Amino acid sequence: MAFSRAAKLTLAALLLAFPLLSDSFTAYQLGLYLLYGMVAQGIALCWGRAGFLPLGQALFFGIGAYLSGAALKADLGWALLIPAFAVACLVPALLAGLVGALVFNRQTGSGPYFSLITLALSMLGFQLANSLSGITGGFNGMTAIPGLPGIDTYETLYFVIVGVLVVSTLVLAHVMRAPFGQLLIAIRENEERLQFFGFRTSMLKAAAFGISGGIAGLAGALYAPHQGIVTPQAVGFVLSAELLIWTAVGGRFGLIGPVAGAVLIGFMAAGLRDSFRYWEVAVALVFILVVLKMPGGISGLFSAALSRFGGGSSTRHEAPTPQLLASKDQRAAPDLRFDTVGVSMGPVRILNGLSFSISRTGIHCIIGPNGAGKTSALNVLTGRLPLGAGEISWRGVSLGNTRPFIAARNGIGRKFQVPSIFPELSVRQNIEIALWANRIGTTEMFSMRPYGWTTQMLGELKIRFPFLMQSDKMAGSLSVGQRQMLDFSMTVLAEPDLVLLDEPCAGLSADETRQMIEAIAAIAGETKATFIIIEHDMQVVERLSDHVLVMHQGALLANGTMTEIRANADVARVYSGGSK
Amino acid sequence: MKRRDFIKSSLTVAVAGALSGTALTSAFAAGPIKVGILIPLSGPAGLFGPSSQNCAQMAVDEINASGGILGRQIEPVFADVGGPPADATQAALKLWKGEKAEAFIGMHDSAVRGALTNLFKGQVPYIYTPVYEGGECAAGTYVIGETPDQQLAPVIPWLAKEKGASKWYLIGNDYNWPRDTNAAAKGYIEASGGEVVGEEYLPFTADNFDSNLAKIKDTGANAVLITLVGGASVGFNRAFASFGLSDSAIRLGTLIEENTLAGIGAENSKGLYSSAGYFASIDTPAAKAFAEAYAAKFGADAAALNSLGQSCYEGVLLLSALAGKAQSLSASDIDTIAEGTTYEGPRGAATMSNRHVAKDIYLAQADGTAFTVVQTFADVDPGNNCG
Amino acid sequence: MDLVVTYGLNFAYSTATLGLIVLGLAVVFGLLGVMNMAHGEFVMLGAYSALMVQQAGLPFVLAIPLAVIVCGALGWLMEWSVIRHLYRRPFDTFLATWGIAILMRKGVEVSFGREYQSVDQSLPGTVSLMGIDYPAYRLVLMAVIVTMFALLFVWYQRSNTGARIKAMVQNPDLAAAVGINTARLSRATFVTGVAIAGLAGVLLAPLVRVEPYMGLDYLLSSFFILVVGGLGTLEGLIIGSSIIGGADVVISAIFDKTAGYLGVLAISILFLWLRPDGIFSRR
Repeated sequence: MAFSRAAKLTLAALLLAFPLLSDSFTAYQLGLYLLYGMVAQGIALCWGRAGFLPLGQALFFGIGAYLSGAALKADLGWALLIPAFAVACLVPALLAGLVGALVFNRQTGSGPYFSLITLALSMLGFQLANSLSGITGGFNGMTAIPGLPGIDTYETLYFVIVGVLVVSTLVLAHVMRAPFGQLLIAIRENEERLQFFGFRTSMLKAAAFGISGGIAGLAGALYAPHQGIVTPQAVGFVLSAELLIWTAVGGRFGLIGPVAGAVLIGFMAAGLRDSFRYWEVAVALVFILVVLKMPGGISGLFSAALSRFGGGSSTRHEAPTPQLLASKDQRAAPDLRFDTVGVSMGPVRILNGLSFSISRTGIHCIIGPNGAGKTSALNVLTGRLPLGAGEISWRGVSLGNTRPFIAARNGIGRKFQVPSIFPELSVRQNIEIALWANRIGTTEMFSMRPYGWTTQMLGELKIRFPFLMQSDKMAGSLSVGQRQMLDFSMTVLAEPDLVLLDEPCAGLSADETRQMIEAIAAIAGETKATFIIIEHDMQVVERLSDHVLVMHQGALLANGTMTEIRANADVARVYSGGSK
Repeated sequence: MKRRDFIKSSLTVAVAGALSGTALTSAFAAGPIKVGILIPLSGPAGLFGPSSQNCAQMAVDEINASGGILGRQIEPVFADVGGPPADATQAALKLWKGEKAEAFIGMHDSAVRGALTNLFKGQVPYIYTPVYEGGECAAGTYVIGETPDQQLAPVIPWLAKEKGASKWYLIGNDYNWPRDTNAAAKGYIEASGGEVVGEEYLPFTADNFDSNLAKIKDTGANAVLITLVGGASVGFNRAFASFGLSDSAIRLGTLIEENTLAGIGAENSKGLYSSAGYFASIDTPAAKAFAEAYAAKFGADAAALNSLGQSCYEGVLLLSALAGKAQSLSASDIDTIAEGTTYEGPRGAATMSNRHVAKDIYLAQADGTAFTVVQTFADVDPGNNCG
Repeated sequence: MDLVVTYGLNFAYSTATLGLIVLGLAVVFGLLGVMNMAHGEFVMLGAYSALMVQQAGLPFVLAIPLAVIVCGALGWLMEWSVIRHLYRRPFDTFLATWGIAILMRKGVEVSFGREYQSVDQSLPGTVSLMGIDYPAYRLVLMAVIVTMFALLFVWYQRSNTGARIKAMVQNPDLAAAVGINTARLSRATFVTGVAIAGLAGVLLAPLVRVEPYMGLDYLLSSFFILVVGGLGTLEGLIIGSSIIGGADVVISAIFDKTAGYLGVLAISILFLWLRPDGIFSRR
């Protein structure tokens, strides 16, 4: 990532000139490592970018290799080989995408379970490749695979590999630079927040995994003619683990690193294995060191050194043409209904017959003592808690047991009490993601245009919160107050119809609280969106809202204007808050 | 690069010449013959690396002491082919094109062999030495390992007659060699009047054999043909004996060599037979002299002799015999004269037939953790391997 | 009938031994979240402890303290040098311990060689039980494992340390805040986990092959069993072992071992996908 364009061009030129500088047989050897490096690039996309670790990547590599091997053995000629190669690339891509979709759809987060599934799949593939000897040739492998027609395996195939590597690197680099790539980082940083912006993160991850599977398949498709044989090891766990090691050692955050890792360890192992009996010890030690001390791998060291000497600027791309997006000016009336909603966690009943409805725009406040179920009410509305009993609907759409991204797509935006942002992304990138929410289409995720998007509201927010103009500052280095404001800005920039704010002023200084209240009031007035705010501070409540809902023990206790609430005897009995 | 190579090889020649002294006059121009010796030093078969290396080195030293091949000294260059075929190809290519090896001897699995025959394409003589499933007929490739036909044709009738083996259970790992071995076995079992009462294949990862043992017991088998490899064979045989099955059935293995037997352990080896072209305990003058020389050269703690390791010794002998007969190391010259070439080694006399060798086969019975040869079958035909 | 008894005992045996093998990993992965890829290597070290005791001509039982000391010391070193920097980073523990596993295998290879080793059974022979002959050592082993689990269960439920571990697992920050030394407790837990793995190695050594690479056999299936049973409870561990062991026994008996292996993998994948929190989860 941190390599400049000149450095990349030099690298590509060096690769092309390699056979002249060395000899064609070392180049042949390098060709294999470059193929492995391609697979490692795909792993880097999943692991370094999106934060989930695929443990069985050889499966896709091997499937591609077997498919292309079979096609080559059938002696099809170029006219049919090209589609066959496309199949060898697409089948693993679709398989990976399908696995990703099925698994991620059930499990948010990037825990070890997905990794173990891919590992088990790779083991399954290895055993099947061994057992289905009629198709694969079994343990002895699919043998005597001819080279690509008209291309000498030991002389010219290398250039084909370099060509494919350059193309796949460019494609991946584009994918990483495009909004899709930025969304993957957002997933790594804070997947749940992204879901509350209406992104179906499971599909984004599945797409990333699918792309990595396709790249692995493509590398495998070239491996078959390169080696002339495909054996079950090409599918198995050991190669999968090695690919991971190469990615980690080379550096998992970029595209050059994984290839460098595969090439360096490849040559190191090839050089050592015949002369030094315990070469694996050397590899293992390097590996442990990398895990402990250099999470960015070798290329991480390089880019750190580069940036120290002022090189390797991190400017991402030339700014695209700004494009002012239209704001919503017409909004249907709100219609939110909670009908005897019950939620239980184990034996504890969190919500117990909560009923209310909101059919008026404006700012509605929920108050109540701690443990009254205020946040849980918002959680069940946005699919963060399962609905136990009753019914929830928003504009006639039932939201019982919904999921965060569906709630968001129905126009419900949410800000949590603890500011929830993408710390490793810059302020600008955080804002971009909010602007993309509910707006960006699948094709736009792979185009640069959305980086130019802006709205009128963004301009106003920047005036209100000047720190938003420090666009290159990492969001993680903002103060707590600024994070609250950034989170709030992101929530409203998505222009939801129903805005749920959970204690937006928590942790803010008096001055910041004032700023925040003004912002909420102004935006609520301008956008005609409906706000529901959980708030403890009665002064805030009084300033903002004329409709207050009081919750107690998981149910609605009272409901009315602030004056009515103050006069309510029930409220006075259970709620010792009042004004501070 | 070419220049660098030239300098490097001239240096090697000069050094080798200076060391041997005698070679200077006879073959300065040609230098020593580099022979690539491909053995597993890592991976599942890495266990056989040290004994293979020792045996090959011993053969090279002996041949060099008696003048080398075609008057040239042999310089063995070893490479590790214990990994997957892709790694093995890289290693072989480095020796072939980088080190300019003129011939290859390989002791590795069949997947690697497939990759290597595809790489060499008959352009360089390649001798494949370990026991395998048979059927290799690529140009320039010569096989001295035991084929299923050799290991079973004489042995099964003998066990039927002498040990009453009639109800056979076939168990092996799930890949080509066990399946092909069992396919051959079925014919011999039927011919000997026996029957196959069960046939099963296990994944390499299998480490619990209880369900197999229950089936073996249930079928009333009195003989088990074992084509499990390595650790699976050790684990199976240990469990087999612990269930007391060694009292009711004999076991025949076609790849149970000295290391595997050591792992099986003395208390689990009752009624265990092994069929192979070599055992460390063969009681012929040639084999005894070989074993003694091995012990003298590498010491008492050296890697134990076994059929796989020792096959590398035979491989060097065959290369020497082929080159001597062809008066050339070119693959095409050797291919024309190969048929009928004979050589004699610790295993006994061997004759090339259809790229394989007809040779003696030994049936040994485990006695504690050592083998005792109980029967020698002379000059066993390798069977029909080339179509 | 005999066959039913045999399969029943085999099922019990495989459940018990799998449970024994997984127990150490259940402690390390289930409680600490460390994906210890060197788990199998600790089992291997235990088996080599049994071998060392046998080679020295000492009684088999002495292998148990030896294995606990060897594995415990090594586990301590590993925790101190690597693991403690990686808590709550499961992927990194996975990668680092993978490297450590290679070092351990190579270390044993240097000391003992690649050869297969044979550890004698201290109780050879079979016992007649319900009409079939069953290996005596296995029966004793099953009894030992059952006793061990029962004691462990009681200890974990009743003891103060058990309570503190539970507190640490559920909320490390809170546990630290109420005065539990989580760094020390984590280390003790890790060391205990790998020592248990070593103990499993000793007990299994007479039954299995012993060689530097034997650990790989136990590693992956252990992870799958843990996931099937659910992390963090002994009951789950036993259920997981019996599901995985049982599936293997049943499918292998009906079809063959390959089908059994594929079946176990498929079941593991289904659990990882649909019920990653184990069979008892309410999802």
